[in-house]
Amino acid sequence: MSHSTTAATPKAFGGGRSPFNVSYGKIMMWVFLLSDAFTFSAFLISYGTTRFASAIWPDPNHVFHSFPFMGEANLPLMFVSLMTFILILSSVTMVLAVHAGHCNDRQGVVKWLLWTIIGGIAFLSCQAWEWTHLNHQGAWWGSFQDLTASKDVYHHFFKPAVLESATAAQLSQSTNNFFNFFFTITGFHGAHVTSGVIFNILILINTVNGTYAKRGHYEMVEKVGLYWHFVDLVWVFVFTCFYLL
Amino acid sequence: MSHGAHNDNNIQHLYEGDQSKLYSGVLAHHHDVKSDESKAQVKKIWKITFILSVITVVEVLGGLYLSAHLSKVIINSIFLILTVLKSAYIVSVFMHLGDEVKWFRNIVLMPLVLFIWFIIAFLYDGGHWKTMNNENPARFDYHHAK
Repeated sequence: MSHSTTAATPKAFGGGRSPFNVSYGKIMMWVFLLSDAFTFSAFLISYGTTRFASAIWPDPNHVFHSFPFMGEANLPLMFVSLMTFILILSSVTMVLAVHAGHCNDRQGVVKWLLWTIIGGIAFLSCQAWEWTHLNHQGAWWGSFQDLTASKDVYHHFFKPAVLESATAAQLSQSTNNFFNFFFTITGFHGAHVTSGVIFNILILINTVNGTYAKRGHYEMVEKVGLYWHFVDLVWVFVFTCFYLL
Repeated sequence: MSHGAHNDNNIQHLYEGDQSKLYSGVLAHHHDVKSDESKAQVKKIWKITFILSVITVVEVLGGLYLSAHLSKVIINSIFLILTVLKSAYIVSVFMHLGDEVKWFRNIVLMPLVLFIWFIIAFLYDGGHWKTMNNENPARFDYHHAK
């Protein structure tokens, strides 16, 4: 039976070669990211379920209308657009670091990793500001449970017409649910960004020390890069679910 | 069995030796930073950056100005299509999945089909709860129902 096969055209799963042509570490990073994608989507889909079950829901253009140092100016979506742009740019600098790695360009890897780390820290700072700002408006995990509270406490979060007609129970439940999901999901994402920044710092140290130059390749930069791009990818969906829909 | 790829020592070492030799696609060979090939790739990266930025700007403008005028179904469909488009660019170019071999792409992408059912089932469930609550307000206002 083996007489009919020749080595010239090996089948992908015929043995003798790696069918995926990818190293073990990279496959495992992809598998991990796939599982992480299911974790994040479980969060986002349960957010969707709760939203579909609610009679009213906070309006993103009202909740997210502030910008640092702009006081009471009404700038809906502007700050989160800035955050999104920062994260996209840090993804670009990461892919440029990976590219420099392919070219064995140590200086390039160092330069672009530094920019990526700066981008990640800038994003986290923006998130810290946004959390603090919302917290000053009374939002946190488990907030807005007081059914006797005046409607004024919700005026940051709803369209005036919706606020007018809603019952105390509807306002309390939807706002409480909204912020539980908001802090959980952006918090889980922020935790990913934080660990991504730490990984980036670690591989930057290794690059500076010449560990990868000695090894002959920068695959580690590539693997951490996959993780970093995934974090950007998740933000694309968080941005849509919380700020646009 | 005497002749076959698995007897080739040049290939066998991939399983035991330096795994980095399993780089694939554009990652298969190293080239100079200043080569035309390298410059073409960097150019492509900036092109994708530009596209991602434009999509984001369109999304924000849509959220600011269109969401009040278009029906919820239409504007949300636009947002979701743009979101999927953005993630496709990130995964295929930035994460280089587009440069991997076909079967590896399939292994990563095929499980995502589960999301179709995942999303439909859970959103339908949420909608059903809303109907039940509307039909029986006491269920919804359970804080007051004693």
